[in-house]
Amino acid sequence: MSNNAKSPLKVTLHAMDERSVRTMVMYLKGPCQGAAVVVDEAFAEVDIFDGDNVNAKRLLTEHLAKPSSRPVIVLSLQSVKLDNVVLVKKPVKSEDMLGALAEVKARLAQQKINNPPVSVDTSLTDLPADKPVLKNYTINTDEQNKTSKHQTAMQLNEAAFGTYIGNVQGVDVNDPAQFANAIYAPKDYFQGYIQSAINTCQDKNENLQLHSGWRQLVLFPQSHEIWLDADDKELRAFASLKLEHVPSKKMSLSPFKTESLVLTNALEKFHSMDAFVWKLACWTSKGRYPDSINIDHPVYLKNWPNFSRLLITPHAMRIAALLVQEPRTLGDVARVLNIKPQYVFVFVSAAHALGLVGQARREADELVQAPDFKPLQKQGLLGRIISKLRGNKA
Amino acid sequence: MSQYKIIFTGPVGAGKTTAINSISDSPPIKTDAAASDMTKSRKAATTVAMDYGIMNLAGGEKIHLYGTPGQERFDFMWEILVNGGIGLILLLDNTRADPFQDMKFFLEAFDKFIAETGVAIGVTQMDISTTPTIDDYHVQLKGLGIKPPVFAVDARVKNDVSVLVQSLLFSLDPGLEEEA
Repeated sequence: MSNNAKSPLKVTLHAMDERSVRTMVMYLKGPCQGAAVVVDEAFAEVDIFDGDNVNAKRLLTEHLAKPSSRPVIVLSLQSVKLDNVVLVKKPVKSEDMLGALAEVKARLAQQKINNPPVSVDTSLTDLPADKPVLKNYTINTDEQNKTSKHQTAMQLNEAAFGTYIGNVQGVDVNDPAQFANAIYAPKDYFQGYIQSAINTCQDKNENLQLHSGWRQLVLFPQSHEIWLDADDKELRAFASLKLEHVPSKKMSLSPFKTESLVLTNALEKFHSMDAFVWKLACWTSKGRYPDSINIDHPVYLKNWPNFSRLLITPHAMRIAALLVQEPRTLGDVARVLNIKPQYVFVFVSAAHALGLVGQARREADELVQAPDFKPLQKQGLLGRIISKLRGNKA
Repeated sequence: MSQYKIIFTGPVGAGKTTAINSISDSPPIKTDAAASDMTKSRKAATTVAMDYGIMNLAGGEKIHLYGTPGQERFDFMWEILVNGGIGLILLLDNTRADPFQDMKFFLEAFDKFIAETGVAIGVTQMDISTTPTIDDYHVQLKGLGIKPPVFAVDARVKNDVSVLVQSLLFSLDPGLEEEA
C-alpha cells in the first residue's frame, strides 16, 4: 500500500452524473493508487469539479461564493485561471492528477498550521461557457450523389492482378535482368495527356474540356474532379493504347462553361482527380515503372495515398508503409517484402502520377538505403487481423 | 489468453460507434444517452461511457474494439483504456469548425500511446464538407513531424473502416502478411 493510500484525501465530486462519478471513483482507486477517495460532501476535504459540464459555471460560482476553506480542483479542457483553484487539464493524466492532489494536500497541511480562511476570487469570467463547435456549410446533395467519387476502395489480390490490371507482352517485369526494359513513358499514353491537362487547368484555374477524339472529358480544378463519359472498362482499354497508334492522337483543351446544363444528370460520372489519375496510371503501367524513375536509386513516399478512395493493388499498403518510413530502391522493396517486383512498379507508377514519390536527383542528394526492418513479435496475430478484415477467415 | 484491443477515438459525432459497428462480429455494446450539453448540437445521443465491439479471429483469438467516450469530459478514462492497445484509430469529423484543432488535441492527448504503437486517421463526412482536403491534413501533420495514414472514411462502410485499420497494422509492421 502506498503512502497516499494510507491517508487518502477525502474528495467530493461536482458537476458529474452518476456514471462519471462511478468512473472517477475507479480512476482514483486504480491509476491514482488510492491517493484520494470519494466521500459525502459533508466529510470532504477537497471539491473536484468537471469544468466542462454544462452546469459547471453556475455550480462553481455558487461554490466559490460560499465561505468554505476547502481547496478546489477543476478538470477542464480549457485553461481556467481562478485563485485557489487547481486546474487539471484534460485529458486527465494520472501524473497530473496526482500532482494536483499533492498540491491541495500541501495546502491543507499549511492551513492547519496557519488556520486562516481561504479567500476565493468568485470571478468566473475566464471560465468558458460551453459552445457548440459548428461550421457553416451547405449540404450539397449533388456532392453526395457523385457515387464514383465517394466509392470505397477496391482491394485487388494477386490472383486478380492480371485480369484487372493486365500484363505487358515481350518483357518479364519480374526478372531483375530485364528491369531496364520494364519501363514505360506516361507521355506516350492517355495518362500523360491527362496529367498535362490537369496541370494546365490548375495553372489557369479554369474548367477545361479535353478533346481527344474519344469520349467527352471535363476537368474541374477547383473541386479537383474529372467528368468522363465512359465507364472503367472502356477507360482501361483506352489507357493501355500507345497513342501513336491512335489516328486522332492530337488532343486539345478548350474552356468549359456549361457544366450545369450538360453534366447534372450524370453525377455518377464525376471522379476525384486523384482516384482517376491513380487508376489510369495502374492500367497504363500494367506492372512497369515510369521512365522518370531511376531503378538504381532509392525512392521515398511523401505521405500515404488516400487508399480508401483508390484502387488498392496487391501489397500496395505494405509498400506504402515501407516507403513512407525510409527510402529504398524498387528492387529492394520487392526483396524486403518478398513480393513480385510488378506490384512495386505498379504502385510506384500510380503514386508517382500523383506526385507522392520522391527520388534523389543528384549524386549529392543520394539517399541512403534503409536496412531491413525488424518484424514485430505480434506479427502472426496482426496478420490474422488483416485476414479477418479482408474477409478471408472467420 | 492475452487480450488485444484497438482503440477508436475522436470528437463527438465523428463516427466511432458506427465504425466499431462496421467491423465488429457482435452487435457493439452501446452506452449512448441523450445528449444534454455541448454535444446536443452535434447529435441527439452521444456515448457517455464507451463502445465495445469484438472481432473473432481464426484460432479463437479475439480483438476487442474500444471507442472512447465522445464527450471530452469523460476523458479521464482514456489512460486506462489504451493500456495494452495495439494502436489508435483517430476519426475526425470534417464538418466541425476546426478539425485540425481536433486532430492536434487528440494526437497530443494520446501522444505517448501513439509513440509506443501507431495511429491511422479517418476523416468522416467528406461527402458533406469537402474541405479541408486530405492533402490539407497531410500539410498539418507534416508540421507536427509525423506521416500517418489519413483516409476519407464513411464509418458506415465496412471496407472503409477495414482499409483504415489495415493501414494502422501495416504501419506497425510492413512485413505483415495474411495469416490463416
